Order: sequence, then C-alpha cells, then structure tokens
Amino acid sequence: MILAGAVTAAAASLWLLLPRGSENRIARRAGLVLGAAALAGFIVTGRRLGGLGEEAVFLVVSLVAVISGAATIVTRSPVYSAIWFALSLAGVAGVLLVLGAQFLGVATIVVYAGAILVMFLFVLMLAQPSGLAPYDRVSNEPLLSAVAGAVLLGLLSLSIGRLAADPTCCAAPARQPAAVTADAAATSDTLAVDQVARLGGELFGRHLLAVEVAGVLLLVALIGAIAVVARGEAALEDDRRLAAGGARR
Amino acid sequence: MNPLLAAASTALLHNALIVGAMLFALGLVGILTRRNLIVMFLCAELMLQGISVSLVAWSRHHGDFGGQVLVIFVLTVAACEAAVALVFVLQAFARTGRLDAAAWQGLREATLARTVDHALPASDASPPQWPRLSTAGVLPPGADHDSLEREHV
Repeated sequence: MILAGAVTAAAASLWLLLPRGSENRIARRAGLVLGAAALAGFIVTGRRLGGLGEEAVFLVVSLVAVISGAATIVTRSPVYSAIWFALSLAGVAGVLLVLGAQFLGVATIVVYAGAILVMFLFVLMLAQPSGLAPYDRVSNEPLLSAVAGAVLLGLLSLSIGRLAADPTCCAAPARQPAAVTADAAATSDTLAVDQVARLGGELFGRHLLAVEVAGVLLLVALIGAIAVVARGEAALEDDRRLAAGGARR
Repeated sequence: MNPLLAAASTALLHNALIVGAMLFALGLVGILTRRNLIVMFLCAELMLQGISVSLVAWSRHHGDFGGQVLVIFVLTVAACEAAVALVFVLQAFARTGRLDAAAWQGLREATLARTVDHALPASDASPPQWPRLSTAGVLPPGADHDSLEREHV
C-alpha cells in the first residue's frame, strides 16, 4: 500500500537526516531522496479537491509547511531551526487561509511569526555560545523517535482515510437541516463574507467567560515570568555564596 | 447538501487532517530527539500548529466556529507558554551555561541510565564562505574588525 510505503520512507528519511555527530553526505542525499518519495506518496494518496486552482494552492502551502517543519527538526543550528519554523508558520497560515479561516491565518503570522518567534530568536541570541554546540550535533535515539513518529503518522492517516471514505460518518447531524433549508451558497456560515465579524460575535458571545479566563491567564503568565526572573537571580546569588562558603571550608 | 459539494468538502477535510497529522508527527519526533531546549520548544509549537490545522479543518467541514474559537485560545496559551518557558530556559542557561536538556539529567529516575556523550569528530564541514565586500567609506573610530565578525550564527 502506498500509504505504508510513504510513512516508512518518511521515518527512514528523518532517521537519516537527524543530526548524528559526523556529517555524512551520502546519508544526507539518501534522506532527501526518501523524504521526496514520502511526500510524493502522501500527495498520491491525498484526495482530489474540486478545482485545479484550489488544489494547486493547497498543495503548495502544505508542502511549504511540511518541508520547512521537517527542516526545523533536522537543522543543526538552532537559529536556522527558528527561521525554518517561521517559514513553516507561513505555510500553516496559507493552509488556514485555504480552509477559509482568514482571521486565524493572519493572526498566526502576526502572533507567532511576529511575536513568539522573535522572542525565541532574542533568547537564542542571548544564550547562544559561539559555534555549534556538541548537543546540537547529536540527537537522542533518532531511530526510536523516527519509528514512534512513523507509527503515530501511520495510525492517524489510516484512521483519517477510513473516516473520509465513509460519506455518512463526518456529516454534522445537527447542522444538516439548516444546511438543507438554507441557500446552497450559504450552507456553511464559516465561509460567509462577514465571517470575521461572526467569529468575533461567537467569541465574545458564547465564549465570553473563556475570553476572560484567557485574559487572566496572560496576566498570570506575565507576572509569573517576572517573578521567576527576580527570584531566580536571588537564588543564583545564594548558590554562588554557598559554593564559595563550601570551598572556603 | 449537494453531493458533489459534500465530496469536495470531505476531500479538503481529509487533506487538511493529513497535513495536521504530519506536522504533529514531525513535532513529536523533534521533541523526542533534539537536545537543545529552545529547539524542543519550537517542536512543541510545531505540534500546536498541527492541532490548529486539524481544528480549523473540522470547523470548515461542519460550518461551525467552535474550532476556530478553540484555535484562538490555543494561540493565547502558546503565547503564555512561550513566555514562561523561555524564562525557565534562560534561568537554566544561567545555571549551567548550556542549552542542553542532558545538563539536567541529574533529575532523572534512579533506575534510568545516564546519557553518555561520545567524543564527537571535529566538524568536517568546511566553514561557510562569507562574501568579502570591498571597503567603502571610512572605518568608524574605535571599531575593532574582529569584534564585528562571527564565524557562526
């Protein structure tokens, strides 16, 4: 079966590409070829979408997301890892836009790539020793983890394929009457023209309490981060004093 | 619903769920193998991206905003998590001088074996060739050439 071959090829490719101390060009090339084969297998087993344009756009953005996601985990330098992750975020934002979630696509770019990723890069620059550290050039149990990832991916894609093959399983029973009575173009209200306004209405209507809790969570994280920094420095001083005292004794 | 439209919707759902599963599996492999603490957090964020894609795919399929609202909360929690986690990473770096997860292996279970680092060969990759630009203008006073150049990022 194509899917099993693709999953196996993906695992082998990750195993070959993960950092392992010495650089081996043949292993790298084989890993790249196997990765391309795995992606081709997944593309072949994917369902055909309605239009050619939609299909091409979805293919491009999802390939960008997956390939740069893989590059994130196999790159040795953590700075390059973060930059590949930014590209992967761009691909994910494209997938979200294809799925019709305009607000989330833009929010992913602004919040993740604009804020969280810049924070990661700042910390990397603060804490990066010059050159590639030894722990960036080796990885823990690459074979076992690649097999674990392959098992997870195989099971997920198998169950997703089975799910999508059954036409009755994933229709929404509660929404079906509304969809039948409504105009064919307006079957799904997540694709309406004013969908961002509707999303806001839903967020601040049905989920108002959760919004409040999320605000409290942000405040607690902010105060917690400051408190950890302040008390951590005091604890570091204590440690140094203890060490100095122990050495004197 | 129009059966053709339903089939297209199911196909989009299938493909988007597969993409989400791939991102999640990649993040899982990364968080299991990599030893740099910051790269491990990047992999956790990659897993969150996979979840977001799956949630929005179901939201699109059912024509319901629930999945998208959940993704907004995922974004919020990811921001909080990144802030707190990076503070911990910085503290860990201040204590050990390394961004290595194995620097904290003293916290492992008593029955687990210790991670032993084998001697690494010197990096056999030739150092990157940065372009040499011809000097233009005057050198600012007091600027030391060596302090401006780093071999690696």
